[in-house]
Amino acid sequence: MVQEQHRGEQEKRSRFFINDNIDILREILKRLDGPSLGVAACVCRLWCSLTRNDDSLWEHLCFRHVSTASVRAVVVALGGYKRLYMVCVRPVLSRLGESERVRRRAWTRHEVQLSLSLFCIDSYERLGNGRIASDASTSSLMFLCNTINV
Amino acid sequence: MDRTRDRDEAGRQQLGSSSGTSSCGKSNLWKEEGGMDELLAVVGYKVRSSDMAEVAQKLERLDEAMENVQDSLTEHSNDAFYYNPSDISNWLETMLYNFDSHPPEESNKDSASSDYDLKAIPGKAIYDGGVSTTSNPKRLKSVESTSTVVVVDWQENGIRLVHSLMECAEAVENNNLPVAEALVKQIGFLALSQVGAMRKVATYFAEALARRIYHVFPLQHSLSDTLQTHFYESCPYLKFAHFTTNQAILEAFQGKSRVHVIDFGINQGMQWPALMQALALRTGGPPAFRLTGIGPPAADNSDHLQEVGSKLAQFAETIHVQFEYHGFVANCLTDLDVSMLDLREDESVALNSVFEFHKLLARPGAVEKVLSVVRQIRPEILTVVEQEANHNGLSFLDRFTESLHYYCTLFDSLEVSPVNPQDKAMSEVYLGKQICNVVSCEGMDRVERHETLNQWRNRFSSAGFSLIHLGSNAFKQASMLLALFAGGDGYKVEENNGCLMLGWHTRALIATSAWQLAAKSVVTL
Repeated sequence: MVQEQHRGEQEKRSRFFINDNIDILREILKRLDGPSLGVAACVCRLWCSLTRNDDSLWEHLCFRHVSTASVRAVVVALGGYKRLYMVCVRPVLSRLGESERVRRRAWTRHEVQLSLSLFCIDSYERLGNGRIASDASTSSLMFLCNTINV
Repeated sequence: MDRTRDRDEAGRQQLGSSSGTSSCGKSNLWKEEGGMDELLAVVGYKVRSSDMAEVAQKLERLDEAMENVQDSLTEHSNDAFYYNPSDISNWLETMLYNFDSHPPEESNKDSASSDYDLKAIPGKAIYDGGVSTTSNPKRLKSVESTSTVVVVDWQENGIRLVHSLMECAEAVENNNLPVAEALVKQIGFLALSQVGAMRKVATYFAEALARRIYHVFPLQHSLSDTLQTHFYESCPYLKFAHFTTNQAILEAFQGKSRVHVIDFGINQGMQWPALMQALALRTGGPPAFRLTGIGPPAADNSDHLQEVGSKLAQFAETIHVQFEYHGFVANCLTDLDVSMLDLREDESVALNSVFEFHKLLARPGAVEKVLSVVRQIRPEILTVVEQEANHNGLSFLDRFTESLHYYCTLFDSLEVSPVNPQDKAMSEVYLGKQICNVVSCEGMDRVERHETLNQWRNRFSSAGFSLIHLGSNAFKQASMLLALFAGGDGYKVEENNGCLMLGWHTRALIATSAWQLAAKSVVTL
């Protein structure tokens, strides 16, 4: 009897399922780079809702070494880290640096400032236009979008 | 055929054909000289009517010869000389001569390129570089032993177009309206044969010239906010202006707890969110931020300034910056008075003018009046952004030439950057309105009186202001901003004695400078 119970417990312990431990999952997802986070969003419904709704996952992506409480307050007020990443950080990084190094490099103060400024203008523009979808770029940031070669 | 050249004593380099006769220069085109064909003469080519058949034949021969030689042209481009094509018959003669590879014993030495120096209007839209021209006629004689290849500018229509524009402007200056009228029509045609930037610029300049000739002046020069917003979005000039001035203001406000910004031209208020955010994130937290926005009365009588103010207030609330706003409607900055501004004791003031100061030059004494009001305000900093060009010269032709070059460069930069077509079209209309104002208006109506940085420097210095050097932060931010623009290679930031200039390739287009009251002289007892 005792042996069976023991084996049962062992089996239970070995069946570790990440989705049961969302805090660990979060810690892992936080450390991913942009494209990987996008891939993660396609894994299952839980992961999808986490990436979509948990803005703190995107914070580390944006200002990995520079984020402070005050920056966080401003970014959250202006639309959140996910939007910041989508409309500002990702295009800025891809234009300014080589993509392989991009994931690992630290932001300089100037890059942070520039991205935040652009993000502000974007947010200000959206104040007047309620109908812009949360992931779409406003016209002030159109210059960052990739052009399509016709 | 007589080919005396008249080098203008003032040293003006012009695109122009050599005048067959005398010192009166180009306006003699109309007269029939030795049976010249009139129609071609209007466009700048001198051909005797009797020679027409011969000229046509020579053109055909030249065409054939050039097809064969095309590949080797680039090798010889350093030794190339321009010959004056307006005298078609002789020009063809010399061209054919060279292509036939005879030893150049008797090349027509008189065909100096000096009057046809395309460098008068540099800028890729018009002059495709890479060919050196000689400006010293003496050099031709020593070239006998080297083989020279004449490079023909393939953009012949482009040359003719610029040539016609200059001729027309000169005719307008000399009040020679019949010639001007004919030329304007020609310009219209020639412009259609061009593509891209050159076509658009030529069309706008032609329209402006036509307005001037026919006295059909535009009703009111108003660069509406919509147009300016599209211009803001399509190219970096306004963004550069905003980012650099914000950086200067941010540095000036360091350590201050109550700040007041007075914006001479608030438009949509696009400049201020970024400044407010930077203030919110500075160490020590944001100051109390007050903004006074000045603007012209709205066309539709709406309270436009107040709308901008409430939008900014909403923004300020989201980032928790204490914000206060006042809007003032003023037709001209001279209407401004210190008492209207409600200056408070413990506040630091910054004044900001983006493309507003040059409009004051239309009224005598206006700049001095506004600067004296500025002195009374005693600001921490006065930031000024202006176009880097002299479009306020005394001579119409000078203004025309300068603005042609300037706007060609601007349109060029728009052409190369990939922007959404609506933004681009609106930006071109925005610039077109400026062109119209510079060329066709006069007196108080001509408000686009751009002056260069050095001219403004003199003005501000003599009015009691001293320059604040824009730091490296502003420079780095500006460079980074420009790197983001997809046409980014062409834009260049330059530091010029403490001021920052943004240009397209080699041509500076706008300049930012920051000023403060010069130190008071010590009062001796």
